[in-house]
Amino acid sequence: MNRKEIIEITKQKLKEKLNNADQKIINLAQIIEKVPNNINELYEQLRVITDQEYPTLDQSLTIKEYVLFYLLEEKNEKNIKNLNISEKNIKEIIKIKNSNVSIDLNKDIKEITLNLAKDILNLIETKEKMEFEIDKLLKENYVNAYHVATPKILCKMLEIAGSSKRLSRFPASTIQLLGSEKNFFKALKFNKNTPKYGVIFNHPLVISLPFKNKAKFSRTLAAKIAIAIKADITNNKIYEELDKTIKIKHSKLK
Amino acid sequence: MNKNLIIKDKLIFTKDLNSKKNREWNPFHSKVAAGIRKGIIPNINQDSKILYLGAAEGYTVSFISDLVENGVVYGIDISPYSMQKLVLLSEERENIIPILEDCNLVDEYKDLIKTKVDLIIQDVSQKNQIEILKKNAKLFLKEKGEIILSLKLSAISQKKINIIDRELKDLETDFRIIRKVRLEPFEKKHILVFAQKK
Ligand SMILES: C[S@@+](CC[C@H](N)C(=O)[O-])C[C@H]1O[C@@H](n2cnc3c(N)ncnc32)[C@H](O)[C@@H]1O
Repeated sequence: MNRKEIIEITKQKLKEKLNNADQKIINLAQIIEKVPNNINELYEQLRVITDQEYPTLDQSLTIKEYVLFYLLEEKNEKNIKNLNISEKNIKEIIKIKNSNVSIDLNKDIKEITLNLAKDILNLIETKEKMEFEIDKLLKENYVNAYHVATPKILCKMLEIAGSSKRLSRFPASTIQLLGSEKNFFKALKFNKNTPKYGVIFNHPLVISLPFKNKAKFSRTLAAKIAIAIKADITNNKIYEELDKTIKIKHSKLK
Repeated sequence: MNKNLIIKDKLIFTKDLNSKKNREWNPFHSKVAAGIRKGIIPNINQDSKILYLGAAEGYTVSFISDLVENGVVYGIDISPYSMQKLVLLSEERENIIPILEDCNLVDEYKDLIKTKVDLIIQDVSQKNQIEILKKNAKLFLKEKGEIILSLKLSAISQKKINIIDRELKDLETDFRIIRKVRLEPFEKKHILVFAQKK
């Protein structure tokens, strides 16, 4: 094979790798992991200033609710009700209108904080779009594992494994421990018990079980995830059957 | 010494393959250049064939390509992001052949490299770096061919220096070590090994 031909092969492989769903999922997931802390910090800093205007505004508002409220030009009852804000929080917001300790921010500061609020909203919405995109990619490509593992956990597992191909080659025992690598080595070092589960621990079905049954159930679940991802690679739809056996096992351990 | 390699006042230059101008080779960016500063001068001549494992974006590869004017450098890397740049580089430089593969999986690329090479340069910082080198040398390195291997101390172990000794022992089953140097101050925690196939 001559040089030109090899370069063509490399370019072809390059395109396949960069276009591959796993790579897109992992890239997006890694961006998302970096986003939330930033938003929280920005939000807290924003509130330090804007709470001077709305000092009694409830702290339990979600960031998005708060920012939407803050960006409203006229904060009257009707406008507030039009926002997508929970009933309880609307009451809180309306209450603050009657507070008499608020100050008006000056025009320049107002403009800065409004811009920051817009940026925060943008970041939140972009994050939601990325999550939606990941969800779509996972469902399109790994429908079995998507249902059995849940999208969040599947995504994390893909990220740790590096690719679906690699994940599909892991035995159930490895899948059960994925995400516990750090603790695993720590346990060995300090002669403690090695961990019994990794990210699978966050699966809603595992969470819902009494502690003594979690390990047992996560073993079953890991085995089903292993089967699911293998089926995804070969394009078989089997998640309904898998789901059924999982639910039966789960109800026995409840 | 290779006529395209110029060392003066502790600076290293190569004569650029295309422009024929001198180009400075920074030992802080390249372990091979750091090795040259530390006295490992590889036997690279104009016709040498070289296999580079862990080519990355091709910083070092580009200087090697200056040295092997009429030879060839096979650059292997696993990262598609690095490979994008390496492919672009190979379009400017007629003697670079970029290959996107995991250098653990020699079977995947053994059909692409049909000649034996004179020198293997390896810089992958993987735990099984010796195993990788042996596998590749077995298939692609000619008799008495040479290797330049960058050993990252922490890629093998966090604390135990004697693990390095064990790794070197392991290497010595197939290679005769000619020289080994630590790369400080250019690169921390790295040893560069120059050896010859037994
Ligand atoms: C330290 S960088 C090499 C820098 C390069 N030698 C230079 O001086 O310009 C290590 C490279 O090894 C690559 N690598 C790591 N594991 C690999 C593997 N198993 N197969 C091929 N390349 C690998 C990484 O993608 C990375 O680009």
